[in-house]
Amino acid sequence: MAILEIKDLKVHYLTKEGPALAVDSINFSVKENKTVGLIGESGCGKTTTARAIMKFVKEPGKIMGGEIIFKGRDILTMSDKELRTLRGAELTIVRQEAQNALNPVMTIGDQIAEVIREHEHIDKRTAWERAENQLDLVGISHHRAKSFPHELSGGMRQRGMIAIATACNPDFIIMDEPITGLDVIVQRQLLTLINDLREKLNLTALFIAHDLSVISETCDDVVVMYAGKIMEKADVVSLYKHPLHPYTQALINSYPSIRGEKKNLVSIPGSPPRLVSPPKGCRFHPRCSFAIDRCREEAPEIREVDGHSVACHIVK
Amino acid sequence: MKRKEIVRVENLKKYFKIKKGLFGRFKKGEQQYIHAVDDISFSIGEKEVLGFIGESGCGKSTMSRTLLRLLEPTSGSIIFNGEDLLALDSKNLRKHRRYMQMIFQDPFGSLNPRRTVSDTLRQTVRIHKLAATIAEEDILIKEAMEEVELLPVEEYWDKYPALLSGGQQQRVSIGRVIILRPKFVIADEPVSMLDVSVRIGVLKLLEKIKEKFSISFIYITHDLSTARYVCDRIAIMYLGKIVEIGPTEEILSNPVHPYTQALIAAVPEIDPTVKIKNVPIKGYVPVVPGESSNCRFYPRCPYADEQCSDGTPALRKIGTDHYVSCFKR
Repeated sequence: MAILEIKDLKVHYLTKEGPALAVDSINFSVKENKTVGLIGESGCGKTTTARAIMKFVKEPGKIMGGEIIFKGRDILTMSDKELRTLRGAELTIVRQEAQNALNPVMTIGDQIAEVIREHEHIDKRTAWERAENQLDLVGISHHRAKSFPHELSGGMRQRGMIAIATACNPDFIIMDEPITGLDVIVQRQLLTLINDLREKLNLTALFIAHDLSVISETCDDVVVMYAGKIMEKADVVSLYKHPLHPYTQALINSYPSIRGEKKNLVSIPGSPPRLVSPPKGCRFHPRCSFAIDRCREEAPEIREVDGHSVACHIVK
Repeated sequence: MKRKEIVRVENLKKYFKIKKGLFGRFKKGEQQYIHAVDDISFSIGEKEVLGFIGESGCGKSTMSRTLLRLLEPTSGSIIFNGEDLLALDSKNLRKHRRYMQMIFQDPFGSLNPRRTVSDTLRQTVRIHKLAATIAEEDILIKEAMEEVELLPVEEYWDKYPALLSGGQQQRVSIGRVIILRPKFVIADEPVSMLDVSVRIGVLKLLEKIKEKFSISFIYITHDLSTARYVCDRIAIMYLGKIVEIGPTEEILSNPVHPYTQALIAAVPEIDPTVKIKNVPIKGYVPVVPGESSNCRFYPRCPYADEQCSDGTPALRKIGTDHYVSCFKR
């Protein structure tokens, strides 16, 4: 069963130069106990998508249309009161830069307990015990519950964020670049934690990253975004072994791997378009080495090919 | 192949004083220091790229700034083209500066937002008095822009950095460096803030200018996977010390120091069918200690025993150009 379904979602940023089409008619769904990876470069609309799911899009951003069906109900038509009961309990988010997301004047234990008490009517002591259990779950000793965020390292703060996000047994959790900006070894420890939690808590999650390898290690399915559009969707093994879209292929061919044979890397010419004036036709065509005239004129629709969903004219 | 030596660094140290604070001033006790760079020695040959890999706080950025004398080292020597940089006065140092340049991590932060691409490059030309007339300046600027592939030149000439993508901004920074025809360039995480799809393009550009202008590079990064494609040799740093140094492929296929092994195992794998074994080491990089009588990696090392808590291991040769500092290997 799909926990989350995004239908024809459009989010625009209204700028002085005109609307920037940050998310332009995207569709995808996340099934129960599955992790979907959303991959793309900065400015491709992945974080905007995450914010739209939480209905957190702020001025000058605006949700221009579409539906976000969470457990059968459309988030976009919910009232603020309904959203309050949803956010933080059933639907949660782990954002990048945990140091800015945590409250600097509250202990980590209090911040977890606060979330639990906000959504469940239990006394302070039980909530505190639950908070301590949460900390143990994410690999911070419960003795650190009375620590303030500045007393914790970057990796521990991010663990704290995960503890908060999983405190009320959420049905859906969004992880927006949870390991970006941390040291390699800390990244590896967090990836291990996330994979453990996926098993232990049967998480249903959307995992956002700009790095395909991080998605490969944590996700079941992958959605590839470029300049506000979905280019390709497939399960993670098939996407890596048989990428269909030229952009996905280019991402894989330009990925410097540390293991195995040293392959010849192919760079992608040009740079991502400005979303105020995206190229006509397929948004990837100015950088695509296979582009034909049709790509320059007509935006490709998403089609089903070999079990992938792909938006490209030249894929047979 | 023996390369001509361009840079030679011996026993370089940079210690920072720890401030005591208002009340600490009245307390007795010795001044404490943070050993950000602690007794580092290496050399770089002509057209060679030496990578410095380490986590944040390992001293790699401090080291690079010390090499260019943007920070004064505590002790040691830096020989560049046969001359000891630390013996130069500021006037002579400026003459040498032209040949030793740096490319920074944040392309936007290192460009003046109110200068167009051509103005930025023109400033460099003027400071170093490379041209006598404005027409000559224009020629140098145009050449540099062509070199870094900001093409067509007319399109970028009057653009402000804010209108450029991250990759293009970094190309301007690189242009500003190569207009001086340096012999030695330090690239401090030059692609870590760029989009994945443009990284390889910028790395290939660095490779091209290295060959064309015979530049020796220090490539500083925390990312082993790009280092593999850029560096001839790699030095792994931990808390101000080099723990392992050797040819890139040798280090990657035969890592000897436990920290190197952990770093390599930590890199995420793109092939979803390959499962990576967990890293045996624990914890995270502690605050750089002052004097320490043990191996700095000792508290996190899975193989440590009493020997490691007693004395600092020196770099030992264990293969062709391959050195490691560990008692257990």
